[in-house]
Amino acid sequence: MSTPPARISPARPEIVTERFQPRRPAWFELASSGDHKALGALYLGAACSFLVLAVVELVLMRVQLIVPESTIISPEIFDQLMSTYGATAVVLFGIPLALGLISYIVPLQIGARGTVFPRLGALSFWLYLAGGITLYASYLYRPPDAGTNPLPPLSDTVFSPTAGADAWIAGVGLAVLGFVLFAINMLATLYRRRAPGMVWRRMPPFAWSATLIGYVLVVAGSVMFAACTMLMIDRQFDGVFFDPGEGGSPILWQHLSWFFFTGAYVVVLLFAFGTISEILPVFSRKPVFGHRAIAASLAAVAPLGLLAWMHNMYSAPIPVGWEYFAMAAALALTIPIGVLLFNWIGTLWGGVLHLRAPLLFALGAISTTTFGLAGELMSSVIPIGWQLDHTTTAQADTYYVLVGGSVFGGFAALYYWFPKITGRRMGEGLAGGSFWALLVGVHAMAIGMIFAGLEGQPVDVYKFYEGEGLAAYNLIASIGSFVLALGVLLTLANAAYSARHGVETGADPWRGSTLEWFALSPPPPHNFDVIPDVRSAEPLRDIREFVRRRTETWEPPRPVERREPEPAANPAKADAGASEQDSR
Amino acid sequence: MTLAALVLAALPAIAHAVPLAPEDGASPNADDTTAIYWVMLVVAAVIVVAVNLALVAAVVRFRARRGREATRMRAGRRVHARVAALLGAVATAIFVAGVISTSQVRDVEPSGPEGLQAASTRTAQLGVSPPAGDGQPLSMLVSGQQWLWRYEYPDGTFSYYELVVPVDTTVMLELDSTDVVHRWWVPALGGKLDATPGRDNQTWFKAEEVGVYEGRSAQFSGPGYATMRARVRVVSVPEYEAWLDQQKADIQEAQDAVQERVQQLGGRSVAEAVQGAEQ
Repeated sequence: MSTPPARISPARPEIVTERFQPRRPAWFELASSGDHKALGALYLGAACSFLVLAVVELVLMRVQLIVPESTIISPEIFDQLMSTYGATAVVLFGIPLALGLISYIVPLQIGARGTVFPRLGALSFWLYLAGGITLYASYLYRPPDAGTNPLPPLSDTVFSPTAGADAWIAGVGLAVLGFVLFAINMLATLYRRRAPGMVWRRMPPFAWSATLIGYVLVVAGSVMFAACTMLMIDRQFDGVFFDPGEGGSPILWQHLSWFFFTGAYVVVLLFAFGTISEILPVFSRKPVFGHRAIAASLAAVAPLGLLAWMHNMYSAPIPVGWEYFAMAAALALTIPIGVLLFNWIGTLWGGVLHLRAPLLFALGAISTTTFGLAGELMSSVIPIGWQLDHTTTAQADTYYVLVGGSVFGGFAALYYWFPKITGRRMGEGLAGGSFWALLVGVHAMAIGMIFAGLEGQPVDVYKFYEGEGLAAYNLIASIGSFVLALGVLLTLANAAYSARHGVETGADPWRGSTLEWFALSPPPPHNFDVIPDVRSAEPLRDIREFVRRRTETWEPPRPVERREPEPAANPAKADAGASEQDSR
Repeated sequence: MTLAALVLAALPAIAHAVPLAPEDGASPNADDTTAIYWVMLVVAAVIVVAVNLALVAAVVRFRARRGREATRMRAGRRVHARVAALLGAVATAIFVAGVISTSQVRDVEPSGPEGLQAASTRTAQLGVSPPAGDGQPLSMLVSGQQWLWRYEYPDGTFSYYELVVPVDTTVMLELDSTDVVHRWWVPALGGKLDATPGRDNQTWFKAEEVGVYEGRSAQFSGPGYATMRARVRVVSVPEYEAWLDQQKADIQEAQDAVQERVQQLGGRSVAEAVQGAEQ
């Protein structure tokens, strides 16, 4: 039990003007805004739109794979769907959803009135959106078809002569450049704009995750931007970076792109881990178990995860020593992730669990990612990786982690912070339906894919043959993906409906202990009238405790002797005195 | 309880019906892979079951009820250090097992007694490449191209789609690609390996049983990727030699036919002749 602060500095109004009369239309205000909340909302809206596209693509691909030797969707269209799907799910949905919530919530959590570089934040969003539009505009002429990760030489001009491959490269390049700029802005804010007393050890886990995500994005995002630039030079200006005929190296692209995609994976995981660590204590009504151990584990996940990029490349022609290095990094992740799991269960244990939607989805995130990470643990052992990598078995593990992290974790965060963003709560009934659909869907899909992969089905195929024993597994996986899609749509519908018609809540509907709940819902443009001093890792709890004590020890003031006011000799002087008192 | 008993009773039936491990049993490297696979499957299953049981137990036991207060979990001092040390020990053990298993899988076994021997092979007399036999591996050049595999045998014979190898003989595969990255994978004969243009990559297998082993390419390589199959036909040594002779004769015949046609066309190459016909 942290000791309540002895003294909280008295409230001083620091901002006098609340709002100017808007002179321009609302959409223009939003589009030209550098406010972290407006940008967060834009990021969230765009990420959810791309989530719908990703789900549509997934469902179409699974429709094609319901029966053997299916001809519902032509191979060309299947390859196009598959090539846009990977970039959409990870680059246009997974990372931006995390960034949207970080942008909205983290400055509030650390008691900031805004970000350090608002215009950089705005540029980051518009670059990301331009990237998404670049990728999808290719559907107007010729979509990319060089695979989820377009490895050269398949993605060079000889084998992919159409502009679709350029759309993929340019789209992903623009988006990751946006992420790097976002990370720079957020890191600067996290370093320079913390409330007095908000030292690193008192940072909420989500804000700490955001710091680490910032570092991961700066490193991995720059690498991917460089890789996309190099591939673009190869395609458009006769470069030979990846051309084996001219002394270039196709393996180089694999290193660079896998470094980024592994980084993206780490971003999704850190975001989910931070969210879970934030939600569990609030809904178990007790402080998080092992705050410092959680912070240390998150800090260990970031570099170890990045260093394990080569565990996607066990079959590539690289020296076996490098593979051992990748295996060591991947296995070392067991330690921080295991400690995190231990702490979360320790947080739940002995608590008073209120099974509201945020907790439900957070528990789903822990459970689902555990399935995926256990599978990843298996295939990080080199011989098992040689057998299972690039089969639907390994893909199922990826789905477990990404659905667990981005969908369960992302939705948990959405349910948790929705009242802060809109001032209204999302419906619990639809939340329950969505949760069970997601849980049943992801398991049905993954189990079907696991068995299909063990039976020998590789990833990304547009068809499989009769009599290979794959039909039943693919049918189960397809049905699972449809249920999963239903679960996603239920929560998105819930959000769309609740934004207008949800139950109105106050500033702090969940009895949170972090500073974002100290602001109004939705927060005013300047976030806080008064920025409180932070004395512990749970500042709002301290404030609540302080107010309670104040209330208990409060005594009615003694009656004041009434005195007749002296007749004012000079009215102007009296006015001056009054205004002087006001401004104090 | 009844439900649990039913599930337990159904488990062997389910385990029989579905694959729980990748295909194996045809080559020592695939068998070594399966051995470590079972160990890791148990580790992964323990983790998944433990975490999920703990979550369910927490929800059942500590769901909010009237009048109950939250109590902190009692844990000794330095509990996190102990948990981390335990996990570190497990990770280290897996790493060591992984390194041992990797070197076992990579370790090329000599050919067996039933395999191709130097004395019985006629490939040796051709002197095209080092002969197989007496434990020496048979070296094959496997070249990926959109969307089939081309196999080149030690004596220069080649075949498409299907690799024919003698039983109980160690076969070294030298992987290469003429266009984009492909990935060789015949699960019963071991793990995947990339065929990257401009880079050599090596793997091996030793088929212990006569039979046909199906494989698929496991790297997206363009529109025909799903149809890109790899098939290995394992035959007895005499059958292998007979097949090799037949294949060589077929190739010779086809080449002679082409040559004859070229002469008919007046010494021009086929390409020139085609150009001439078009004009």
